[in-house]
Amino acid sequence: FLLPAILCLLTLLLPPLSRGAPMSPAERITQAYNLALSMQENMSTLLQTYLQAQGSPFSDPGFSAPELQLSSLPPADISFKTWNALDDGERLSRVQGAFLALTQHLQLVGDDQRDLNPDNPILLAQLRDARLRAQGMLGNVAAIMTALGLPNPRAEDTLGLVPFGASAFERKCRGYIVIREYGHWTDRAVRDLALFKAKYPS
Amino acid sequence: MSFAQTFSFGESRDSVSRFGTTSCPARPHRPPRSLGCPLGPAGWPAGAAARTGARCPAGRVFGFHFSFPGLAHFLSHRTAPGRGVQGPHLSRVPPAFPVDPKEANSCGSRRAKRAQRDGKLQKSSALCPPPRLSRNSRPWARAPQLIHSPGAGPALHVHTRVRGGLAPAAAAPPKSRPGSRSPLPAGKPEPMALFAVFQTSFLLALLSLRAYQSEVLVEPLPLTPESLNVSIDSAHQYLNLQWSVHSLAYYQELKMLFQIQISRMKTSNVIWVGNYSTVVKRDPVLHWSWKSELPLECATHFVRMRSRVDDAKIPEPRFWSNWSSWKEADAQKSLGRDPLFLFPKDKLVEEGSNVTICYMSRNQQDNISCYLEGQQIHGEQLDSNVSAFKLNKVSFIRKTGTNIFCKVDQKDVIKGIVLFVSKVLEEPKDFSCETQDFKTLTCTWDPGTDTSLPKRSSQSYTLFESFSGKKILCEHKNSCNWQVDSDSQEMYNFTLVAENALGNRSVSVLFSLTHRVHPKTPYNLFLKNVSGTKATVTWKVHPIGNYSTLLCQLDLLGEGNVIQQHNVSIKENGEYLLSELEPDTEYMARVRCADANHFWKWSGSISQKFITAEAAPSEALDVWRNVKSVSGRPTVTLFWKPLSKLHANGKILSYNVTVENLDRLSGLEVHSVPATANGTELTLDQDSYQIHVTALNSAGPSPASVIVVSGDPGNEEVEEERVNGTEDGFSVSWKPQSGKAIGYVVEWCDHPQDLPCDLQWKNLSSNTTSTVISSGAFRPGVRYNFRIYEISTERMAYLLEKKAGYLKELAPSDNPQVVVSNLTSHSFTLSWKDYSTDSQPGFIQGYYVYLRSKAEKECHPGFKKATLPDKSACCQHRIDNPEQKTFVMENLQPESVYEFLVTPYTSAGSGPLDAFTKVTTPDEYSHILIRIILPMIVCVLLIMITCYLKSQWMKEKCYPDIPDPYKSNVLSLIKSKENPHLTIMNVSDCVPDAIEVIHKPEGSKIQFLGASKSLTETEFTKPAYLYLLPAEKNYSGPGPCICFENLTYNEAAADSGSCGHFPVTPEALPGQPGPLTSPENLLKALEKNYMNSLGETAAGEASLNYVSQLASQMSGDKDSLPANPPEPVLCSEYKMQMAIPLGLASPPPAENSGLSSTTPLDQSEHYR
Repeated sequence: FLLPAILCLLTLLLPPLSRGAPMSPAERITQAYNLALSMQENMSTLLQTYLQAQGSPFSDPGFSAPELQLSSLPPADISFKTWNALDDGERLSRVQGAFLALTQHLQLVGDDQRDLNPDNPILLAQLRDARLRAQGMLGNVAAIMTALGLPNPRAEDTLGLVPFGASAFERKCRGYIVIREYGHWTDRAVRDLALFKAKYPS
Repeated sequence: MSFAQTFSFGESRDSVSRFGTTSCPARPHRPPRSLGCPLGPAGWPAGAAARTGARCPAGRVFGFHFSFPGLAHFLSHRTAPGRGVQGPHLSRVPPAFPVDPKEANSCGSRRAKRAQRDGKLQKSSALCPPPRLSRNSRPWARAPQLIHSPGAGPALHVHTRVRGGLAPAAAAPPKSRPGSRSPLPAGKPEPMALFAVFQTSFLLALLSLRAYQSEVLVEPLPLTPESLNVSIDSAHQYLNLQWSVHSLAYYQELKMLFQIQISRMKTSNVIWVGNYSTVVKRDPVLHWSWKSELPLECATHFVRMRSRVDDAKIPEPRFWSNWSSWKEADAQKSLGRDPLFLFPKDKLVEEGSNVTICYMSRNQQDNISCYLEGQQIHGEQLDSNVSAFKLNKVSFIRKTGTNIFCKVDQKDVIKGIVLFVSKVLEEPKDFSCETQDFKTLTCTWDPGTDTSLPKRSSQSYTLFESFSGKKILCEHKNSCNWQVDSDSQEMYNFTLVAENALGNRSVSVLFSLTHRVHPKTPYNLFLKNVSGTKATVTWKVHPIGNYSTLLCQLDLLGEGNVIQQHNVSIKENGEYLLSELEPDTEYMARVRCADANHFWKWSGSISQKFITAEAAPSEALDVWRNVKSVSGRPTVTLFWKPLSKLHANGKILSYNVTVENLDRLSGLEVHSVPATANGTELTLDQDSYQIHVTALNSAGPSPASVIVVSGDPGNEEVEEERVNGTEDGFSVSWKPQSGKAIGYVVEWCDHPQDLPCDLQWKNLSSNTTSTVISSGAFRPGVRYNFRIYEISTERMAYLLEKKAGYLKELAPSDNPQVVVSNLTSHSFTLSWKDYSTDSQPGFIQGYYVYLRSKAEKECHPGFKKATLPDKSACCQHRIDNPEQKTFVMENLQPESVYEFLVTPYTSAGSGPLDAFTKVTTPDEYSHILIRIILPMIVCVLLIMITCYLKSQWMKEKCYPDIPDPYKSNVLSLIKSKENPHLTIMNVSDCVPDAIEVIHKPEGSKIQFLGASKSLTETEFTKPAYLYLLPAEKNYSGPGPCICFENLTYNEAAADSGSCGHFPVTPEALPGQPGPLTSPENLLKALEKNYMNSLGETAAGEASLNYVSQLASQMSGDKDSLPANPPEPVLCSEYKMQMAIPLGLASPPPAENSGLSSTTPLDQSEHYR
């Protein structure tokens, strides 16, 4: 079942250039919005699969550790006032920056779990899907920015120096944080794109 | 995972306490190497001297014999620890000294107090206080420390000695407590102080002498470890030591012994002491590692060492060098600034082992809780910010590791580690090696549990052969192939080593190659020359070596069971002739082989199925016959039982029936019956016939079964006897008759009530006179008839006996149909002739006749009282003869109801007592009545017939006709004589009250002469009331005529008061003319009256109203009737009564008034 899922994702990832006619900003926004919704649907499954594979305390019912944070990931939390006051460029560039970081972090988490849970293909596949979706979101947001004529900031290495010597527990925690933040940023992206949909109706 | 709730570091903790106090004074007083003399352990030179006597260099240093008894005594005290430190069993000593932890803990506080008091000592001392000396002794104690390096030793020495002398109880193990500080009894320092002063001065002199000596003598071997470097291997929790030894000037290599001390957290807290012996080469760098149980990151460790020559080249005495300086190994510095650390990270342990984990927090005030798989764990605090947890016998939870995490309460800090617990590496089980071809040895084993973890492979297996010294790494986890080089090696000693990251397990096996031969599975197993009873088996084996012989086991299996087993020794080709086989039977040949010389294992087996050829059936058929006569010709039905598989020896293709006439010479008649049939029918004549029956298969016919039948059925009149059935069946016995019988046959039907009845028979030998007939088809309540035949020498069957019986008799299930006859008032007859006693579920022994009557309470003679199941009483009569099927019920009451029931009974009981039949006895006098009534009826009939025949006569006699006045002779007489115009009555002759003109149809006009002619057509249809009262205008008559009415016919009319004519409505008289002049009121009154009269008379009834009519003697012209009403004349005496049937008075006037031409029949009579 993985192959169709990946093919499906790849179609989402494909840049709009491959289409015959250039897409309007509204179409691009809608496409990105739909992708964000599908990411949202898969979020809880991914988080549950991940936590179950890590053992206690991660797999304990109701596990939550909001205190765990990763400095290399931009926080999705934002005050409503600030969020509301964001202009288009800033709003999109923040989403783009977040998903750029998430893409790299999800790659890292996937590598970690390949070490820690080599016998859990479902988890590894879900992590790979999540990373592909994050990449797709990245491409979609970039396309929106281009379509809206907004400056497209250059991609940069947000991950920085990876502590490769991280212990197994640290890697488990790191994966948890990344997936949790991935969910938060997906939620925020849905709201952001909903705003854009309203602003740029087709 | 078990976890020690009350954590204790046990031994190491003791060590910490003990060595902590021991080494306290030693550390700051490291002996200057310039002193030269390789003294014993810090502070014990004197002790060593005392022990070793003059041989000790120290002894030489001191240069005199210790004669001071007190000191000698003290020194002798020290010999034990001195020896302990010097000897290789140093590390064994500490465990013998339990130290009160309080004492160790109180170290810090005392040290603090002392620091206030004496800062110099605090600085120079280790972390623990010096021995608690009295104030007086303290300067003494300090003096040697300051003067020369091992001064701490003497200080302690003195102290111990003092304590030992003054407090023997406290120094109970004086020899074994060199460094412990026993509580000094307070208030007793004075005697000791005096002694200490003396001793101090003595020692000062002694030491100065020694210092002088050291300058004079040449140091023999200055081998103190140098450049000690300590590093930490966090991954494996090793403290790696590296040091060098210099000045091996005179020797290429030297065996040396190094003593190493390791302290934790502070140098005084020695947790480990051990020796390391090695050969030191010229200017070497030495390495040694120590594995820490406690993660090294959680505590700073200190290491120091000293050395001693331990080589035979150096003559004794040998001395320890000085201790190196303490080297610190501190992993905490590189940890960073996190508030909390948890160690060890990602540790791999084997299931069941003990693990120590620790955390270290930066802030002492933090409240930290730790959890393992959701459960909080509690450890022991090692330091203000370090705690350790000892997990005992950790268990395997999952391959991805066991998570342990700690968090700082009320802070967002979580730190954790993953403990990778591996399954225990098991020793390989069932390890054995064998060869199939002397070229390859295949070793196999059961690897047991897989110990792999993520990123850590499972255990590997290595095979080592000790004779050849070869070693291979096995590719598989459970087998390994070893190439046999040549024939030279006969014996093998294999060792299989299983190894993983945590350890290894091994198992060995020693064997001779020739004893481990496991031949390959034989091949090419074939069956040749398979006949009905024999078959040849051939097979091949893979040769083993040049000279070896194989022992092969050949099994013959039939229906899964081993029937035959043969052992055959072969080299390469095997062959065996199997015999005693059954024809047409499936067998399986199976072969396996083993080394004939040294049995080790059977090879795999090869098998082949085969079926033996068919043979002619081995037994004659079991044949029986049934002779019956069909339309005068005897018909023989032959039955036979199919041959068993054992005797058929193949598939039966058909049966041959050969009929031979014994009485006449005629050809044989052969019938072929298909194999599916198990019988046939032959129509013969009255001759005797011999019948041969054979079964045929592909190999030939079976022996013939012969039976002789005759058209004469023989004596069938044989008395039937009864036979009792048991659970096993029917035990049938008979008496031989002729004595020439060659056998007997018992014949019966399994289902006697069915058609065909499934004829069964049983052949019995001639010397048998009884048998038990059993069949699964036998059922209780069914009558089975057995016929026993004797088989004569001519093979003719003669009926011998007949038996009938029930497996178990049952009560009759229904009652006979009873016919009642001869019913009289006192008796009736019951009969049930149709009841068959043979087809009942038991032998009918008789009948019960039940009679009950409501009238009679007593039973008749021959009856007895019985109670029915419904608890009603009745009378019972028993008939004991089953063939008596009639019964006369007598002595009955006439006109009574009787109920009767007839039910048969068997030994098991009687039939159902439910349906009684009612019979009512007739009346006794009824016949008398019939005799009277019948003649009377005849008489009456005769009279009636007579009356009918003589009706005219009767009429004349009984009811003659009333004479018609018109026909009277008088009328004609008047007509002719007086007045030819005069008729009987003229209307004008009388004055009537009312004249009712009654319509008379045309046919009547003739009779109604005057009146009918005067009526016009229109008038005729009108209501015919003529009012003749004087009120009428044209009335002129005298009115003498009086109308009267016979009131007996109509009371209502009488009530009308006047001479009202009874109202005859126009409806009643359709032909009546309407009134010419009629006041409506009168008309209404009349109608009313009429209606009243109608109301009183049942409508539609054919009653008659009689209306009187006055006949006037005066004749009148009828034509002048309306104009000239008849005058009243003398009314005639004559009255005519007219009957009007009311039933005909219904037609409405509008329709019928003028049109009706019908005349009521009565009217005609009226005028008659």
